[in-house]
Amino acid sequence: MRRYLVSRFAFMVVTVYAIATILFFLLRVAPGDPTSRFVNEALPREDILALRAAWGLEDALHVQYLRYLRNLTLLEFGTSFTLREPVAPVLFDRIFNSVLLLTPALVLMTVLGVILGAAAGWRRGSRYEQTIVFVSLLGRGMPTFFIGMLVLMLFAYQRQWLPAGGMTAPGELPGRVEMLMSLDFWKRMILPGVTIIATGIYGPMLLMRTSIIEVLGEDFLEVLKAKGLPGWRIAVHAARNAMLPVITSTAVTFAFIIDGQVIVEQIFSWPGAGRLIVQSMLDRDYPVLQAAFFLVAVSVVVANLIADLLYGYLDPRVRYD
Amino acid sequence: MAGEGAGASLAPSTGTGDSVAERVARAAAARPAPGPRRWLMERAAWAAGTLRIAWSDHLAKVGIVMLVLFLLAAGIGPEIRTTPPFESVTLEDGRIAKNLPPSRAYPAGTNRLGQDLLVQLLHGARMAIFVGLLAAGGGAIIGTLVGLTAGYYGRLVDQTLMRVTDVALAIPFLPFALVFLALFGPGLRNIVIILALLFWRSPARVVRSQVLTLKERPYIQAARAGGAGNVRIMFVHLLPNLLPLIFLYVALGIGGAVSAEASVSFLGFGDPLTATWGQILNSAFTAGAMRTAWWWVVFPGLALTLFVTSIYLVSRGYEEAVNPRLRRM
Repeated sequence: MRRYLVSRFAFMVVTVYAIATILFFLLRVAPGDPTSRFVNEALPREDILALRAAWGLEDALHVQYLRYLRNLTLLEFGTSFTLREPVAPVLFDRIFNSVLLLTPALVLMTVLGVILGAAAGWRRGSRYEQTIVFVSLLGRGMPTFFIGMLVLMLFAYQRQWLPAGGMTAPGELPGRVEMLMSLDFWKRMILPGVTIIATGIYGPMLLMRTSIIEVLGEDFLEVLKAKGLPGWRIAVHAARNAMLPVITSTAVTFAFIIDGQVIVEQIFSWPGAGRLIVQSMLDRDYPVLQAAFFLVAVSVVVANLIADLLYGYLDPRVRYD
Repeated sequence: MAGEGAGASLAPSTGTGDSVAERVARAAAARPAPGPRRWLMERAAWAAGTLRIAWSDHLAKVGIVMLVLFLLAAGIGPEIRTTPPFESVTLEDGRIAKNLPPSRAYPAGTNRLGQDLLVQLLHGARMAIFVGLLAAGGGAIIGTLVGLTAGYYGRLVDQTLMRVTDVALAIPFLPFALVFLALFGPGLRNIVIILALLFWRSPARVVRSQVLTLKERPYIQAARAGGAGNVRIMFVHLLPNLLPLIFLYVALGIGGAVSAEASVSFLGFGDPLTATWGQILNSAFTAGAMRTAWWWVVFPGLALTLFVTSIYLVSRGYEEAVNPRLRRM
């Protein structure tokens, strides 16, 4: 186990390092000068060179590369071009907002998916199961932004049940605690949350269904039946054993969850990291773009590790070597 | 979603296409290499057989019919309705036909600029098929080369290439695509490039594992004994047996690529002068059409959904046809 952890961790570091390196060289081979956003072209040539030298852009490539790696490791992400503020605090603030939206949505999605999927597998061949499979089939083909726009259209505009976007009412800047205590904040979370669930629930649901169908043939269920347990308690036993792939797959699909989050935040003007990423790309705000991308890569790699470890924890039969 | 292709592709990792590959392998081992014409005829017969099996499955049938309709719409639609997609159409009294709900003259309505949405949707179908084929095809070619090389040479080559693939698999799609497009400029050509560059990863893995089992077969040993070089064995003897599997990944990839392109265009990194479904939805979103013009949102969204679903149904049917073991579920 320890050897596995060490090698797994080493691979993680190598992966993150490789991705950071790819990003570094992408930034260098990309057409156009990254400083052109920051430096007025009309300045005399010497002045531009002096500025570039001050930023270290005139140093040899390997010096720049080593400095880049050092800064990433120390989480020194520099100053945003557009916000003119240090990147790290802004970024972590935005990540916090994203997590605030994502956590309840993911938990609810997994729980709902497991229950609905388990019921479908348990009642195989019923009208209910067919409905679940059909809805999943269509739902999987629906892009996140289409679902988001439909949700907006139906619940925020046609029936004005819930606010259309933002995390707080426009013009208001409550403190964090104050915001979390207000009903308005939770109301604003519903539509984006529903969109996340409606985009991602089909995976866990279908997986749970097949998983239950597979477990149904196993001997331990016969034993439970022979013991005379009521149906629902047998179902719970079956579900516990079938849940394994669902939980690990949620962790594995973390990269796709991030994709969805970027789009949801865009549609519902949620001030999270995804919206910051899109904005920094549109503005060509290189420091923010670098930092955000780096953190996303790290989180995906960590999520994969968690998935692997969870697998072993939930199913003792799994051996690491 | 962007992940759809890759997500679905995780499932058939063990032994997909085994049976067909085995059959073909046995046939190839049993008799001398057939001429190109005969090979072509055998392939055609095989394709017909595959289609017949897929047709017996109801969902696959629905998928095939929808896909054919999309192909027709893409092929002849823009030739029948010849208005340029970004031209504002005018009413009889000379006013621009702005924000018209669906009617007989404009079955999908018009947008805020008075552009005929049906025309844009038909062009969008064309672009979807174009983008999907190019991106999925390009990715499948890269993936096949990587997987074939890794699986065939084994040892250090395999180790290196597979570690590279593992690293590549950890790259999150949308953020990376956005970085790439921010650096190299938005637009359809760069979108296709980045989609192909991100799509090769899962085919590479699956092709490799398939090569690992295929290369131990007697007919490969026979070819080697007959003096065939490495490149010849890889491309003449192994590649044809990998094709069913590769086609499956191209099929899955088309759906993934189309929805990925739509996401990227929706976020504003597409080509504003090309009518793709994602681009239509982007302009609908920025114009606030959810409030004013439901048809501007619903039709392109439905087109996307149905296209991706039909691709999924067809590839599922195809997968079951080439891998009978899947038919039980």
